[in-house]
Amino acid sequence: MIEMLGLPAASSFADDIDMVFSVIFWIVFFWFLLAEGVFFYLIFRFRKKEGVRAQYITGELKSEKRWITIPHNLILVFDVIIVIAAVKVWYTVKQDLPDAPDKQIVRIVAQQWAWTFVHPGPDGQLDTPDDIAKINELHVQVDRLHHFQLESKDVVHSFSVPVFRLKQDAIPGRVITGWFTPTKTGEYDIQCTEICGVGHALMPARIFIETADQHAAWVASNSSVSVASATVR
Amino acid sequence: MLLARSRRSVVLSTRSLVFSLVWLAASVGSASRASAADTDRGAELYELCTQCHGVAGEGNQAALAPGIAGLPEWYVLAQLQHFKKGERGMHPEDTGGLRMYPMSQTLKTPEDMQAVAAFVAAMPKVSSERTLEGGDATRGAQLYTICVACHGPDGAGNEALGSPPIAGQSDWYLLSSLQKLKSGHRGTYPNAVVMRGMAGTLTDEQAMKDVIAHIMTLHPTNAAAAAPNQ
Repeated sequence: MIEMLGLPAASSFADDIDMVFSVIFWIVFFWFLLAEGVFFYLIFRFRKKEGVRAQYITGELKSEKRWITIPHNLILVFDVIIVIAAVKVWYTVKQDLPDAPDKQIVRIVAQQWAWTFVHPGPDGQLDTPDDIAKINELHVQVDRLHHFQLESKDVVHSFSVPVFRLKQDAIPGRVITGWFTPTKTGEYDIQCTEICGVGHALMPARIFIETADQHAAWVASNSSVSVASATVR
Repeated sequence: MLLARSRRSVVLSTRSLVFSLVWLAASVGSASRASAADTDRGAELYELCTQCHGVAGEGNQAALAPGIAGLPEWYVLAQLQHFKKGERGMHPEDTGGLRMYPMSQTLKTPEDMQAVAAFVAAMPKVSSERTLEGGDATRGAQLYTICVACHGPDGAGNEALGSPPIAGQSDWYLLSSLQKLKSGHRGTYPNAVVMRGMAGTLTDEQAMKDVIAHIMTLHPTNAAAAAPNQ
């Protein structure tokens, strides 16, 4: 449904989150229509009539109380449905950390008011001389598992990639690990979604989701080590 | 609750008063160079800068923001242009610069950049407190001989060479700048590249502290008098 509103789903768990969103939306929409229908029906049914005096109803009779208790219990049932769906997705996205032999690890450092993305160089390892640090540019490969290590240099920020349906706070002093698997190529927005100071609105970034060949070419052309070796050749 | 509100009100009133005084001083200082409308525009734009640089442009080490009050207009303008173009403030190790890059993007036109630079230049200079210890000014004076060609014997700077005045600048900012210049983190604009070589002559942090200790003995008033654009 969110895709129909114009925001693509570009991660492996985006559809799951959209499903929870849709479940909540349709349940609330159903109850909204029903409640408004009953409301307007009662207004019409018991409208002013000549010779009929208005009654004061205390709501203590069983036949009256069930107008509250039945919807109340039904809403509790629907709440349980929402909680089950949400917990399942929460576990998948936040509690579980899937692994794969070819996973890519990237470091994301938030600060007032910029993102630093540290990508592994040609060796595929972080914290080696060929790492590629980019300001406000994250390059990832489609259909490849990525782990991210999220840090903050100063205050609380929030790393949000709307097309991934991913949002994770960055807390100073902590390294928070998360994951995503991009499923669509393209260039999309990254936002900070935690008010982080006067420049909060001025720290947008972009994520570039590339095919394997495109990503390999980007790594080769941006790693200082590979550039240096290319120059030597 | 009322007491807290009252205190907040006093703080805000004091802040407004200080800003008004700075605006008045800047208006008088810039009367010969800019119109009242430009000064008003500069003051309006500068309000965003107060978050880090302070109402009086005194700077704030905790925010990694140097004192900028009274810096030459040409220098402030040049740095804003470097930030705006991404020639400065785009290195992952330049935390302070990374804060300035997005701020510079809020200045949409050359006229706005000029207005805020003129406003900052017209602000009364604010003296900075010393924060560094262990510098040897005598040894620093020897090391400073290489700096004289561009920054002048009294640290007044030289507009023709694009060299800013350094006398009167905060010692922590001078150290941070020398470190960034030496490592190449400061930026990619020509003067940063030139300064990388110059800062490279200072072999270690102690040498930087020594030369800064000497710079701190130079007096901004003398420097201002000797500055070519004053």
